[in-house]
Amino acid sequence: MSAVVTVTELTKRYRGVTALDGVSFSLAENRIHGLLGRNGAGKTTLMQILTAQNFATSGEISVFGQHPYENEQVLSRISFIKESQTYPSHLRVTHVLRAARLVYPGWDEEFAQRLVDVFQLPRGRNVRKLSRGMLSALGIVVGLASRAPLTFFDEPYLGLDAVARQIFYDHLLADYTEHPRTIVLSTHLIDEVSDLIEHVLLIDRGRLLLDVEAEALRGQVVTVSGPVAAVDEFSRTGTELHRASLGGTARVTVRGDFGPAAHDRARSLGLDLEASSLQDIVVRLTTSQNGHATGSAAAADKKEAVR
Amino acid sequence: MNRAFTVARLQFVGWRSVVGWPWGILALSFLINVALFSAMNEADDFEPSTGGLMSIYVVMFVASVNAITQDFPFALGLGVSRRSFYLGNVLHFAGQAISYAAVLYLLAVIEEATDGWGVNLTFFGLPFLMVDNPVLRFLGFALPFLLLGFIGIAIGLVFKRWGINGLLMLSTVALAGIGGLVVLATWQGWWSAIGGWFADQPGWAMLVGWPALLTLLLAGLSYLTIRRATP
Amino acid sequence: MEDGRPIFLQIAELLENSILDGTFPEESQVPSTNELAAFHRINPATAAKGVNTLVDDGTLYKKRGIGMFVSSGARAKLRGRRRDEFARQYVRPLLTEARKLGIEPAELKSMIDTWEEGR
Repeated sequence: MSAVVTVTELTKRYRGVTALDGVSFSLAENRIHGLLGRNGAGKTTLMQILTAQNFATSGEISVFGQHPYENEQVLSRISFIKESQTYPSHLRVTHVLRAARLVYPGWDEEFAQRLVDVFQLPRGRNVRKLSRGMLSALGIVVGLASRAPLTFFDEPYLGLDAVARQIFYDHLLADYTEHPRTIVLSTHLIDEVSDLIEHVLLIDRGRLLLDVEAEALRGQVVTVSGPVAAVDEFSRTGTELHRASLGGTARVTVRGDFGPAAHDRARSLGLDLEASSLQDIVVRLTTSQNGHATGSAAAADKKEAVR
Repeated sequence: MNRAFTVARLQFVGWRSVVGWPWGILALSFLINVALFSAMNEADDFEPSTGGLMSIYVVMFVASVNAITQDFPFALGLGVSRRSFYLGNVLHFAGQAISYAAVLYLLAVIEEATDGWGVNLTFFGLPFLMVDNPVLRFLGFALPFLLLGFIGIAIGLVFKRWGINGLLMLSTVALAGIGGLVVLATWQGWWSAIGGWFADQPGWAMLVGWPALLTLLLAGLSYLTIRRATP
Repeated sequence: MEDGRPIFLQIAELLENSILDGTFPEESQVPSTNELAAFHRINPATAAKGVNTLVDDGTLYKKRGIGMFVSSGARAKLRGRRRDEFARQYVRPLLTEARKLGIEPAELKSMIDTWEEGR
C-alpha cells in the first residue's frame, strides 16, 4: 500500500490566522478518503496547498513522491474540483469540457457526455447563465471524467438537490469501482457519504482530530444511558466526549474500543447502549473539549487501525 | 513546453469570441468611419486619420487583463502550472499579434491602393506608422499588441496578488511619479533637452526599439510575479 | 446500511442470512463484491472485507476468475453458530428484563408456551 500524498507538520498562517497547525498524515493509493470538518476548519486550504494553488508557511508535502509546485508531472495527474471554481465568462459548457479534454491525459469523453445528459446540463449555455446547481454539476462532470489518479472534490454539491447528489455519489462509486483511483471527498454532509468513504480525516480549527479507517471508527463511539453509577462504571473504559444528566440518570458519549463484549457488559450493567453514526462522532469530537485532547489518541488509533 | 502549447490551445477553445470581439469591434468602427467619410467627401485635400484602429488594441488589452483575472484561476484549476500558463499565454498573444499585424498590414496596403477605400479614409495606415521598411512597418503593427498585452497581464497580476488596494496603490504611485517628474522637469528647465532627446531618436527606436524593451521588461516582471500568484 | 456498526460485518451477516434461508444454496454463486457495493451503495473495499470474512471462516470459497461460491456444509455450520449466539443475543436480555419485572423462570416458560400455542 503506497502513499500518494504525504504531509508532515504542515502549517499555514494568513496574517495572524492559523489555518493549518502542524498537520501530518498520508493518503493511501486508490481509496476514497473523507476529509471532514466544519466550515473554515482548514479543509480547502489543505487541498489548495496539496494542488500547489497555495503556499505552505512551513512543513513538508509530497504528492506522487514529489513536491507539486510547478511540477507538471504531478499536476497533470490531479483534478481539483472546488465549490468556488470560476470559469472565463465567454465560455460555454461545451468549451469547458473541451478545455478539460485538452488538459487531462485520462479524460473519457464518452463518460463526460453521458454525465452531461444525466445532469441535464445545457451544452450550449454560457457559464455565466448557469444556475448554482448547474455550475456544481459541471464541476462534477469534469472531476469524474478527468479520471485523474488523484481527485479532490471540495464540497462539490452547492445548489444540487438530494436527487442530483445521489446521482453524483452513485456515479462516483460506479466509476471508482471500475477505475480505482485516489479520491478525496471534502464534505460536511457526512451522513450522505459515510458509506462511501474508506478512510476518515477530521480537521477542526486547523488541527487533525482523526486519521482513521471508517470501519475502525464505526462502533468506537457509543452513547450509554442509565443510572449514574453504572454509566460511570462503563465509561471508565474510554474517553468521555459528552455528558448529560437528569436526576440519577446520565447519558454519556464515550470513545473507546467497543466490541460485542462491551455491548454485553453494558447490558449486564443495565445500561442502554447506542452506537454513534459517523456524523454523530464528528459532531461530538468537534464540539467537546475532549475532542482536541483525543487528538493524540487519534494518532495512536491510526497506527492501530492502519497497522 | 508541450504543456504551454496545450495552454495556448486552451485559450482558444472559445475562439469565436477570442477572434470575434477584436475584429468585430474593429469592423464596426471601420464601417462607421466609411459611412462618415462618404457623407462628407467634399474637401479633396482634407486627409485626416481616425483613431478607429485603436479599438482592436483596446480589446486585446482587455483580453489580456481577463487572461489573469479569469483564465488563470480556470487553468490552475485544471492542473496547469504557472509557468505553462504564462508561456502558453505568451504563445497565444504572440500568435495573435503576428497574425493580426499581418492582416492590418495587408489592409493598410489595400487602403493606399484604393485611395482610402474610395472615400479618402485613412483608417489603417496611420501617419506615424508610415515607414518605408516593410519589416519595421509590420513590427509597428505587431508590437503594440504585445506591449498592451503585457501591460494588461501586469495589471491583472497586481489585482490578483494585491487586490483592488494594490491597483489603487500602483496608480497612485505611478501618477505621483509621473507628476513628480513633470514638476522636476519644469523646475529644472529640462523640457527642451527632453524634446531634443526624442527628436534625436531614430524612427525605428521610437516605433520598435523602446516598445520592445518595455515589453521585455514587463514580461520579465510578470513572470516573477505569476510564479507566486494564487488563483 | 445501518450506522454505528462496521459495514463489513453487516454485509457478512446479510450474506449469512441469505445462505441460512436458502436464497443462496450450497455450491451456488453469490453476488460479486462490486455488485454488493453498487447495490448497498457502499465502498467496494468494505464489501470485499465483508465477503472475505466469510471466505476466511470457510463459508464461501473462491473460484479463480469466476467468483465466490457457497461451500458445502456452510448452511449447517452457520446454523450451529447462530444457535450458540441465540442464547447470548436473545435469551440473556430476556432473562434480565424478566428479573427486573419479577417474572420467575417458570412463569417465563409458561408465557413462551402460551405465545407458541396462540401463534
